[in-house]
Amino acid sequence: MRGHVYQLGLLIPGASPIHRAPLWLKYAALSALCITVLVERTAWIAAGALATTVLLFALAGRRVLALWPRPFRSLGWLFALLAAHQWWLNGFDTAVGVVGGMVACLQAARLVLLTTPQSELLDGLVRVARPLRWVRCDPETFALTIAVMLRSIPAVAGSIRDVSDAAAARGLRPNPALLAGPVVVATVDFAHRTGDALAARGVMDQSEFR
Amino acid sequence: MDAPAPSEGVCFHEAAVVVPPDPGAVPGSAEARERTILHPCTLTLRERRVAVIGANGSGKSTLLRLINGLSRPSAGAVTVHGLDTVRDVHAVRRRVGFLFTDPLAQLIMPIVVEDVELSLKATHRERAARRQAALEALARFGLEHLAARSVYDLSGGERQLVALVSVLAAGQQVLVADEPTTLLDLRNTAKLRRVFEGLPQQVIYATHDLDFAAEADRVLVVDEGRIVFDGEARAAIDAYRRLALGGGT
Repeated sequence: MRGHVYQLGLLIPGASPIHRAPLWLKYAALSALCITVLVERTAWIAAGALATTVLLFALAGRRVLALWPRPFRSLGWLFALLAAHQWWLNGFDTAVGVVGGMVACLQAARLVLLTTPQSELLDGLVRVARPLRWVRCDPETFALTIAVMLRSIPAVAGSIRDVSDAAAARGLRPNPALLAGPVVVATVDFAHRTGDALAARGVMDQSEFR
Repeated sequence: MDAPAPSEGVCFHEAAVVVPPDPGAVPGSAEARERTILHPCTLTLRERRVAVIGANGSGKSTLLRLINGLSRPSAGAVTVHGLDTVRDVHAVRRRVGFLFTDPLAQLIMPIVVEDVELSLKATHRERAARRQAALEALARFGLEHLAARSVYDLSGGERQLVALVSVLAAGQQVLVADEPTTLLDLRNTAKLRRVFEGLPQQVIYATHDLDFAAEADRVLVVDEGRIVFDGEARAAIDAYRRLALGGGT
């Protein structure tokens, strides 16, 4: 499935202060930024938050900074639509505050993903999910589920692209009704193969609650 | 559970796989009938290299999946080193690694070393030790330079080798590989075959590459769910050619 190569936020290895920062600090900074832009929905706060993310991306290195504009390629139309809607309903200041704040939160979350190995993120998730043991849910399995989910998003996006290409190659104009069936089949097949791979490697056998 | 005995090898005891009729299937269709994917077979595999050859849909993959417990026999039993693949499935999977045709389907984590680490979670609880063990596993195959790479940026051959390291990282004693070279070009196929040759593990693999099959100590020919030939590589390949091109075994 070609779509595997479309990644949301894959680690860019590095030794910058952002890369070396402990996970708790990254999460604390991410939470602080998100709470600030949610509470204070003004254009100035949003602009400040966006500038902060640019600064932090730059601090993480040239390769990471080069990825800052990437979400605008695929989601730019959505941001523009939301901004227009907010401007029309609530005025310019709110539009910039809401959409700018949203983009700042997205970028801050991406920075965590781009500068933290997934294994470290999962270990952090396992620590956070420890209370789930009280309801007989294994934190390791919970974290692995998140990892598999993250892996699946680009795979599904890729299968949509594959099916669109296959339709175009046969002279058909891709439309949602045409794509839905084959994409669902490809997704179920991907899920089966992932399940087989996890089972074959005995990854799920490690759960203490199996 | 008795102590596992590697000398017992991989044993099929009248093992069969039958798919029951699908109650929702269209009457008269293949799914509406009971289908035998693998007819009862009894054999013991102790050879270092065992190849399984046969046409698409002949039952090769089903035969291999029984060894790792990915498929359960409908009748009979399969044992690995004396461990039952149904009753002792978790112990069996610690001994048997399974390599799929498409390495991307089995690489779960986005970075090479992280994927190898995933296989080591059960044996290495501490992260630093796990990372070290993963790097050592990659180094054993000369792949340490790929450790920090994204699995999506690797070539097909590199991916298959990384998948192999991930599968064997926890010290599996048997490797089962389902058409591991099918998606590889000639160079990577040759490379993987060299790696296979050097593995200390018992390797049981399905392949359409008859040169690859010829390197095995024993070859099984599967046709329509039956093992129709079991023996030395050259004779088995000749039997398969006769079967595929007409004339029977």
